[in-house]
Amino acid sequence: MNRYALIIEEFACWGCKACEVACKQEYNPVDATNGIKYLSVWGDGPKLMNGKLDFMWRVNVCKHCEEPPCAQACPVEAIMKREDGIVILDYEKCTGCQLCIDECPYHAISFDEDRKTVAKCNLCHHRVDKGLYPACADNICLAHCIYFGDPAEIEKKILEKRKIRGGWGDIIPKAIKISRR
Amino acid sequence: MHQFRYSNSEREMEVYGYDSVVKSHCRMCHGGCGVIVFVKDGKVAKIAGDPDCPIAHGTLCTKGLASAQLAYHPDRLTYPVKRVGPKASGRWERISWDEALDTIAERILAYKEKYGPESVVFGYGTGRENEAVIYRIANLLGSPNVLTAGHFCYGPRISTGIITCGTNPIADYENFPKCIMMWGNNVTISNPDEYKGEPFSVALDHGAKLIVVDPRLTRPAARANVWLQLRPGTDAALALGMLNVIVNEELYDKEFVEKYIHGWEPFVKRVNEHPLDKVEEITWVPKEKIREAARLFATTKPAAIQWGVAIEQQNNCADNDRLLMFLMGLTGNIDAPGGQVLNRTPNIVNVGQFGAHGMLPKDQFAKRLGGERFRLASRFAIIQPKCVWDAILEEKPYPVKMLFFISSNPVITRANAKEVYRALEKVEFMAVADFFLTPTAELADIVLPAATWLEMDYVGDFWKRHGYILPRRKVIQVGECHSDHEMLNDLAHRIGQGQYWWDNFEKALDYILHPMGITWNDFKKMNYIRGEVKYYKYKEGGFSTPTRKFELYSTTLEKMGYDPLPQYREPPESPVSTPELYKEYPYILITGARPPGFFHTENRQVPRLRELHRDPIVEIHPDGAAKEGIKEGDWVIIESRRGRVRQRAKIALGRDPRIVAAQHAWWFPENKDPGHGWDESNINILTDNALEGCDPAMGASNIRTLLCRIYPEKKHPMKKKNRMSDYRD
Ligand code: SF4
Ligand code: SF4
Ligand code: SF4
Ligand code: SF4
Repeated sequence: MNRYALIIEEFACWGCKACEVACKQEYNPVDATNGIKYLSVWGDGPKLMNGKLDFMWRVNVCKHCEEPPCAQACPVEAIMKREDGIVILDYEKCTGCQLCIDECPYHAISFDEDRKTVAKCNLCHHRVDKGLYPACADNICLAHCIYFGDPAEIEKKILEKRKIRGGWGDIIPKAIKISRR
Repeated sequence: MHQFRYSNSEREMEVYGYDSVVKSHCRMCHGGCGVIVFVKDGKVAKIAGDPDCPIAHGTLCTKGLASAQLAYHPDRLTYPVKRVGPKASGRWERISWDEALDTIAERILAYKEKYGPESVVFGYGTGRENEAVIYRIANLLGSPNVLTAGHFCYGPRISTGIITCGTNPIADYENFPKCIMMWGNNVTISNPDEYKGEPFSVALDHGAKLIVVDPRLTRPAARANVWLQLRPGTDAALALGMLNVIVNEELYDKEFVEKYIHGWEPFVKRVNEHPLDKVEEITWVPKEKIREAARLFATTKPAAIQWGVAIEQQNNCADNDRLLMFLMGLTGNIDAPGGQVLNRTPNIVNVGQFGAHGMLPKDQFAKRLGGERFRLASRFAIIQPKCVWDAILEEKPYPVKMLFFISSNPVITRANAKEVYRALEKVEFMAVADFFLTPTAELADIVLPAATWLEMDYVGDFWKRHGYILPRRKVIQVGECHSDHEMLNDLAHRIGQGQYWWDNFEKALDYILHPMGITWNDFKKMNYIRGEVKYYKYKEGGFSTPTRKFELYSTTLEKMGYDPLPQYREPPESPVSTPELYKEYPYILITGARPPGFFHTENRQVPRLRELHRDPIVEIHPDGAAKEGIKEGDWVIIESRRGRVRQRAKIALGRDPRIVAAQHAWWFPENKDPGHGWDESNINILTDNALEGCDPAMGASNIRTLLCRIYPEKKHPMKKKNRMSDYRD
């Protein structure tokens, strides 16, 4: 069984926001003037972090949790975790009750006023199932810090990179260790 | 199990049922990135990166990814128009290309006859790779006046590069520098000129050490081994301080200095006039940090400097560039693998030759506006904007009667915007070629619809100095839009230059490529062509300078009557140079930090890019904010001696409390009034363009650092937050 995860090493992110636009391109026709965001990049700081003045970019996107609290919260089972790890929101089933929104520890679910459902990243499963990388993970990222694939493999790759970088990046990407609430 | 592969176009075609796919070359900024464009029903359906591209290896930025939204924008100008009401009345009427070009041609010839060809000024903004055709038509007409951003953007690197070491030295990320000094630049956002953020980022992932020189804590600064948080505008002093350490601690490359340098002794003398105590006082950077950075840079080999435009938009422009080159040279990094390479372009007709500079008659060259004052600029065919505004408004030294701006929006981008606006209101005839009716275009008589990169064939990166050319292949046609190159080729025939131009522009591409024995059709089938790759070329023939040496002491500048050695000058407005003014305007304003998505004034109407930044942002330190009563997200007024504008406050640490940092190039296409809010948030309302405050050699306007005050704009309460892209920047 394949195991799929989308992991973004925020330490390496430069805040270029290309991933945001790549996701938009995948889900919205060219003439769409708006449309919900499944992923958004925001500047954290500059502020004191661990006693040091620091500035990080954060990429807000569904982490496809191991035991997704959003799914547990949904009364109509519109959110399901697939065996390969992808947590899918079924837009047909979603009633827009928004009970899941507050349950997500990563603020990765939003409410789509146009569709009257919640919205979140479904890991481009329509692409993944056809052998294509998720739109944001298809090599567009200039930092090469958006990883898609087996989470254990990804962790290995990130640790390897970190070694070569000379110890930089002591923040383990959150998606690797997802605990139960 | 599926085999995942990046940018898998075959699979993409199958899954989405696209009709065709075209490899091309983006130009939403200065260009560079190879792209794959998928087409369905004759329209661009998707843009992806081309992993075969040697520049960015298939990665893209927001702008490249959103190009189709620009090309198909409903507000786009898709046919020529002429103005039928007063200037800025917004009253336009559709005309044919023939009528448009005939009218422009008639005017050019009439002004040439009556006032001389110098009364017709051509202009472009930050090169839409149209510089060669624009110079060609101007030079052949006999006009020495092409108004570009060259006085304070890239032109200085070319000019000072040529007089110092023969060309513009380019950071060699391909060979992984072990130390990178990023100076007044954030390549990960701006992707300037030859450089893209991707190879820089990869070099860091290979273990390069990082030094960042920036008044703001950017992400690169936060990641840096050493961050030098300098007082804005004091770059030259800081560089002199670092050189002082390198010289006095003998950290320089001895062989290079002995054999390949001109002017060592006077240079050492100049450097010794800048001891670290003095430099610390000028720059606010603690001397230990300066020493640490100088040592790290000089002793880690190879090392490269990632530089850019910020150091050029200052009164120290040319000397800033030269000092950074000296840092590259003295440490032995010039033309070293992983250092700063003097690349060779492929054997093609180069931009200078294509630009027909040799065809400009001597007596016309002598009439170049500001040529006597800004002699280095003039040598490289660059003029200072204020000289053009003066020639329009005061007819001094002679009248300028016609402007033809191609991809340029000077009422937003040039210093002292109000004066620019007045000049454009007054000029007798103005033509503009652009994608939209910009605030500048609204003052024109005729506006021509320009093609985006998706709509043209071209030799991409033709003008750059990284040694590559890449084919830009036409994918679509939108309305009656023509590329700048095609329209000028056509216009040239109508003003009697036919013998020097071509039946169609594809033949011009053949001409550019002919020294290599290939045609556009051959080139179209290739991924790219690269010039000869060779390092340490100077060891054989020396440098391409008058002394054949790397010139610390510039014989060219000496001949032109300038100080042959670089020096530090205080910014025209600063706590030091204008202490009285500082009491009234108690903040140092820096301008122009780049947000992703915009390219100067471009893209504010492209939904996917505008939603990244809905409002102009000015950053202020929490201390300053508290003092002025400013809260996060407030609309505030920023005011200088010359005017006031509004932007929204972002309160942030990581800046000196004495500094505020405002964004540049804002206008509001959604504002349907013909001014489109050109003076609402445009930071150049505040900047100065007095010639005395410009760089003496290049004429660079000092738009990056000035004095201001800042206070809340109470009458405009904060707008309701947006749904998904909340205000956060
Ligand atoms: S594309 Fe990469 S570097 Fe850019 S914002 Fe996204 S994660 Fe960060
Ligand atoms: S809880 Fe949030 S992050 Fe986790 S799977 Fe649900 S939406 Fe994704
Ligand atoms: S995986 Fe797909 S849906 Fe999720 S953020 Fe990336 S592009 Fe958007
Ligand atoms: S960096 Fe420039 S060339 Fe590359 S994708 Fe962005 S706009 Fe296009």
